[in-house]
Amino acid sequence: MAAEKSSIKIITLIAADGSVFEVEPNIVKEMKTVQSYIDELDQNTVSIPLPNVFGNDLAMIIEYCKKHASEEETKEAKEEFDFEFVKRMKSDDKLRLLQAASYLNMESFLQFMAKAIAAEIENQSVEFVRDYFQIESDFTPEEEAELRKENEWAFK
Amino acid sequence: MSMMDHCKDFLSWLDHDTSLNIFKGMDDPADLARVSCVSRSWRHFVIANGLSKQLCLRMFPPLSRVACVVELNQHGVKEHPEVGLSNSMEWLALQKDNRVYGCLARCCMSPVAMDCIAGRFSYWSSNGQINPNVPETLTYQLGSQICVIKEINIQPFQAHFQMGSPIYSAQSVRFKMGHQKASLDSLADEMFVWTYTSPEFPMAQENRLQTFQLPEPVLCIGGILQVELLGRVQRQEMDGLLYICISYVQALGIQLSPAFSVEILDPSGMFVLKRDQRAKCEPHATSDDESGMLNENLLREFRDFRRLLMWEHVMRIGAENGWDEEDYANGDFDFDFGFDEDVA
Repeated sequence: MAAEKSSIKIITLIAADGSVFEVEPNIVKEMKTVQSYIDELDQNTVSIPLPNVFGNDLAMIIEYCKKHASEEETKEAKEEFDFEFVKRMKSDDKLRLLQAASYLNMESFLQFMAKAIAAEIENQSVEFVRDYFQIESDFTPEEEAELRKENEWAFK
Repeated sequence: MSMMDHCKDFLSWLDHDTSLNIFKGMDDPADLARVSCVSRSWRHFVIANGLSKQLCLRMFPPLSRVACVVELNQHGVKEHPEVGLSNSMEWLALQKDNRVYGCLARCCMSPVAMDCIAGRFSYWSSNGQINPNVPETLTYQLGSQICVIKEINIQPFQAHFQMGSPIYSAQSVRFKMGHQKASLDSLADEMFVWTYTSPEFPMAQENRLQTFQLPEPVLCIGGILQVELLGRVQRQEMDGLLYICISYVQALGIQLSPAFSVEILDPSGMFVLKRDQRAKCEPHATSDDESGMLNENLLREFRDFRRLLMWEHVMRIGAENGWDEEDYANGDFDFDFGFDEDVA
């Protein structure tokens, strides 16, 4: 089994929009969903369709994985990368990347995205949060009024 | 097929731990208060996971010693049953935690900073020592049993009436906070339990109010603050002994009474956190009249006040209990009583 695994040189990931990415096995280690798929196969080259991830998002995820898998990069360089990475993401990107991270079962990237989403919610109004996550309030008007009164201090 | 068609509300599809991490990523109690108003499921998540409590614990680790939370004067305060959710005992307790810790976090975030030392006090002097390393401690009762201390300001005393106007500062200072022991069986026992010790701060030999900002705001449970004065730098010419003298001490922060009070359970040091439902959540600056009343209450509480005076070098609770002639006579510091006028 171990020998078979090491014989896999390149893994091909196919995104929802058909775009193709060829990556080293160490890059997909982070993606547990993909890794478990690879582990079940015994072919030399593996091609894996990812119908739940768009090409643009997959490109970003692979970029993130490459940076973090690299042993040459210093801790500071990785932090700097993370900082820029978050800056580059638009609000909608963040939600899609969170979904992708969850689907691909990527532990550290998922936590990274959780932080980014938390930052998105910070200092925002209830209306913004509802709008962002497309949530309809299911409180009765009386409950809503009561909650607002109770938490008035938090509504600036 | 694509996940993009999915509901965007992550609570409905994300694993529990990651959802929890998103909510824990919010460090402002106001954020938590707002997200709990988004929808029923969000509100349920905040309450069920005790997120207000966890936020408070992250802000103030001493809260890990809370044995239980009690709400006082509930009568007449409208309850808000969470519609559609079971009102089991466990759920009611979680709701109570959410209310109490939410209010506590909000109080603690207040930008108000007032002097938390009960009563006013002015000058204090140590005894003279030959050894510069003999430390001194000043112990204070704070105006509230539970308060958040952000910074401590100390003005060393300058003796303008002495040759060369020496400043009797200390080399450095350190602060401890804690509570009084309930039982004082033996005089040899320590009277206080210290739950916080600050780093050591160097003190300048300058006659000004020096600010010692704590690395982070500290929740003092039990209302006792001790200032440790470490290292003597100034010798008094007439007796050749080293002294430390202080003009003024201030502890700036937030008094959480009357909205909150604590009952410390000896000997575990655990405590009961009490929230008075009738009291407003916001801390307010106490007027002079109110602090005067507070002092009298504190005095009544302080059964062992005289013993405290004996035990510590000084224990100041209000001006009327300050320095008296007898204590003064014990010191060797050769002063006129006119010095107070020199203090700014």
